[in-house]
Amino acid sequence: MVMEASQQNQQTQQPIVRRNRPGTTTKEFCQWPDENFEEMDSTLVVQQFIQQMIRKDPSNVEKLLNMPDGQDEGVWKYEHLRQFCMELNGLAVKLQTQCFPATCTQMTATEQWIFLCAAHKTPKECPAIDYTRHTLDGAACLLNSNKYFPSRVSIKESSVLKLGSVCRRVYRIFSHAYFHHRRIFNEFEEQTFLCLRFTHFVTKYNLMSKDNLIVPISDAVSEIPGESEA
Amino acid sequence: MDGLTINNFFDSDGGFDSGNGANEFVDLEFNYADSDTHLNEIAELYSYTEHNEFQLNVKAFEDQMEMYKLKPLWQQLDKDQHQSIILKLIDQLEVLDNTMRMKAARTLLYLAQGCWVEVQSDDEQQSLSRYNVMMLYRLGVFQAFVELLNLEIENAATANVAIRKIAVSLADSVDLRVILSVLYIITEVMRAESERTDSEHLDLVDAFVQEISQPLGDELLAVKLLGMITRFCSGSAPHFPMKKVLLLLWKVSLVSLGGTETLKKLKNEYREKEGLPVITEDTLEVSRTMRASSPPPTAGNDDNMAKRSRPFRRVRNIVISESLMKQSSLDEQEQLGMEMEAQNAENEDYIPDYYRQFDDPMNGDKNGMMHNECELNKQPSISAATTQHPTLPWEPKVRQKDIYQFMDISRRKFIGYTLPDNCETTAGLPNPICEGINILKRHLYVSLADIQVKREEEIARNPLTKGEEEVPINPTEVLYQAILPNLPQYMISLLKILLAAAPTSKAKTESINIMADVLPEDMPMTVTQSTKLGIDVNRHKEIIVKAVSAILLLYLKHFKINHVYQFEFMSQHLVFANCIPLVLKFFNQSIMTYVGSKNIIPIMDFPSCVIGEQPELTSDLVIGDSEPYSWRNIFSCINLLRILNKLTKWKNSRIMMLVVFKSAPILKRTLKVRHAMMQLYVLKLLKMQTKYLGRQWRKTNMKIISAIYQKVRHHLNSDWAFGNDLDARPWDFQAEECTLRTCVDRFNNRRYFSQISNAVRFPDQSNVGGNQNLGLNANNCDNSIFNGIENELNINNLLNSENLLEVDDHFELTKEFKNNYEAWLKEEVFCANPIDWNEVLNEPNLVLINEIKNAIRYSTYFMKSG
Repeated sequence: MVMEASQQNQQTQQPIVRRNRPGTTTKEFCQWPDENFEEMDSTLVVQQFIQQMIRKDPSNVEKLLNMPDGQDEGVWKYEHLRQFCMELNGLAVKLQTQCFPATCTQMTATEQWIFLCAAHKTPKECPAIDYTRHTLDGAACLLNSNKYFPSRVSIKESSVLKLGSVCRRVYRIFSHAYFHHRRIFNEFEEQTFLCLRFTHFVTKYNLMSKDNLIVPISDAVSEIPGESEA
Repeated sequence: MDGLTINNFFDSDGGFDSGNGANEFVDLEFNYADSDTHLNEIAELYSYTEHNEFQLNVKAFEDQMEMYKLKPLWQQLDKDQHQSIILKLIDQLEVLDNTMRMKAARTLLYLAQGCWVEVQSDDEQQSLSRYNVMMLYRLGVFQAFVELLNLEIENAATANVAIRKIAVSLADSVDLRVILSVLYIITEVMRAESERTDSEHLDLVDAFVQEISQPLGDELLAVKLLGMITRFCSGSAPHFPMKKVLLLLWKVSLVSLGGTETLKKLKNEYREKEGLPVITEDTLEVSRTMRASSPPPTAGNDDNMAKRSRPFRRVRNIVISESLMKQSSLDEQEQLGMEMEAQNAENEDYIPDYYRQFDDPMNGDKNGMMHNECELNKQPSISAATTQHPTLPWEPKVRQKDIYQFMDISRRKFIGYTLPDNCETTAGLPNPICEGINILKRHLYVSLADIQVKREEEIARNPLTKGEEEVPINPTEVLYQAILPNLPQYMISLLKILLAAAPTSKAKTESINIMADVLPEDMPMTVTQSTKLGIDVNRHKEIIVKAVSAILLLYLKHFKINHVYQFEFMSQHLVFANCIPLVLKFFNQSIMTYVGSKNIIPIMDFPSCVIGEQPELTSDLVIGDSEPYSWRNIFSCINLLRILNKLTKWKNSRIMMLVVFKSAPILKRTLKVRHAMMQLYVLKLLKMQTKYLGRQWRKTNMKIISAIYQKVRHHLNSDWAFGNDLDARPWDFQAEECTLRTCVDRFNNRRYFSQISNAVRFPDQSNVGGNQNLGLNANNCDNSIFNGIENELNINNLLNSENLLEVDDHFELTKEFKNNYEAWLKEEVFCANPIDWNEVLNEPNLVLINEIKNAIRYSTYFMKSG
């Protein structure tokens, strides 16, 4: 009875529930119609908007990074980075099948650069997979910290400044995957274009130096038809 | 002396001899401020022996630029390139290879220093430095360097090398000094920026202030630095460059907590919140318009000399002192001290210019300060020139307590009984008394501390209804909570360093060697070099004293307005660590020499030492600058005097320490420095102990007494000079300190239960943190009732306290209990609840509280049911 009533209700007014309730099938996962940015009225608009765009076309980097008018830039950067870290967990999971502390004993991309893991009180030398986990955990901690990011509507300048160091450290995960686990990297990149998006993101907002973006994105890009940006 | 020119040559160990006499009669045009000029503050970061290392920074920069295939000319690159380079360098700061890391660090240091190779003048260097620092900060260099500092602090290899060495030198702290220098430059540039009114970087400054006022990672930067100081003092890290650590700590605290202006603003803000009138008087302002008193003539000379030269007087004096001895209530030892003092003072009568001392500021002839020499044999002119202070410089004050006291005495006298705690009714009191009361009330001054103390008392009385209190979180509160667990160690360490840096200390007898970051690996070979090193060492010590004194004063001031018991906690630990005698020892030197010291070689200061054509280092070094005094030394002196004032104000037990340690002659000599503000603080210190110094001292030091009348704030009906004060009875002193301690402990236990319990109860495992904290926090709800439980001594209080569930001290056991006590014994004592020792070991606190709770519940149950 109740179910019927609610179904009827839904049919008449068609309220859209933008939630993946427990038990949602893969097919229905995130299958709700898009909404205009102006019409979104939750406190998580920016995240919702970004995720909606990514679902639509993850390869359209330019459009993804195109900030809506009147949007606070700090929040925009924050939400993007948050999204990157979330998706990067996918890469980390894949890496776990191939990257072991015994084989990749150090966090390195090219031989020249071996990095310390900054997640500890005193930075130390962690194996690549541990570096990946620690860094993603650390990033998640920072980005969810009530102290630095108490609100997702406005963000203090001092907290925005913290995003740079997260980018710097997170990027090393990409470069390690690219140079040492190319197959996994390619597989992942084909689906998500994450490294491409990330590279554009840090370049656009000057969060990293171009010379340090050592993963050549043009390779990945060339495989995508219709992508003009190199 | 080959090639050394010395401005105003002086003998660094001897007195400020008569050749320099002119200086002694001119008021010092010294302006007290939160810090010296930006240029000087930057220059003081480096010791002269570090001179060679500047070139390493350029080298690192050039190497890096070569790596990037760019010309090593920073100014020719555009902003994007700047950013890109800095970002690359930051990346390099996190690589495993230490040489790579330090190369990047040095390059960044060179940028922070303002790329001095490319500039022509100091101004250019400063503006480039400012530009670079702002960019460095925006790109996250500060945080990256704090992490680097963490890494370097824990670098066991360098520590082990340093511990095993006999003589630790500059070379042992190369990396640490680079890191600390970058952090210091950023902090200092930010501080200077915050003082600019036209700054376009205010958002960055704000962000910076916020960043350092909060824990970076898991630790406040200030706490990290304090930790470094403690480790240094414990001997486990002799290579830590203390000067840089202290300077950074000072600046970080200054920027985060705020200087004089912030203090003034906060104080009035807090006062308004409590409904108190705002304070308009500004100590700095008032003392700036004051004129310095001429010092007591013999004050500067060696006391013994003066004594010997007047044998006749001496005989008479002893007679006088002996007759005095009989009247005095002070013990013999102090009496002896006074006697000596009396002799010295008596001798002053012979000095011809005696009468011109202490020119009355009310007569205020404006030229007087310049031309005192001309007046040498004249009486002070009573010319009615323009007056700077038509009235007394300070608004007089009255404490609530004084009014009560006055009314009690009057009532007892005129009505014959007292009405405790009533200052409203004046019934039965004669008119003049009422008038007096009105005047007292008009000048009534209620301090923030009074209000805070009263609130604490109320909370202690009604812990359940009043115990809930919201503690506002501000930088001071954050700092206090962070240093609370180890505050005693921090204070001891700071004082140890102060002691080691005091000019009177002998380097060899000290357990800690604060010279590690100034002494080069190779000892100097030529006379010039060793003179230079001598000056460098003295300069180094002076800068350390400056930093320590500034840190202590800053903390005391901020804690005082934040909560008086935070202040009392810190000051009690300073007193326990012998701060009072230490400061007195510091002043027990040739103070004029110290104030006029010229431990500076301007050409060696940064940036002069690197900009433009460099002269041959062996030729023509000019020592000393054109100033007649040393800014930093007067600054330190005033800081130390203020600290002493803060510690002793209204505390009879500590004032007694001033007397016991014979501070009067030392302070009197300090009056020789002709600077109104400094003299003011000395006079305050003398004023508070005058009543203990005896009649003879007063008699021979009438000039000081009148200077006190003129310059120090009056407390109406305060009997400061004649010792009839009831509060000043010596037998109460210990009790006073103990009561204060109890109040402070209660305050700390109530507000910071979780912070202190680890340190107090598990001093060996204060690092365990996490798990224990969780367990203890769970008890926080019990905390307001059972506050103080973690202090074993307080358990008795707790059990006896009437506040607790109305358990009376003298209760009668009920019949019920008497009849059933065997059952109670059996249940509660013999078999029930066998103690779970594992639990006790894990959480002694919880178990203890539960046991006591049960016991109380049980006994009240039996009492009530009867």
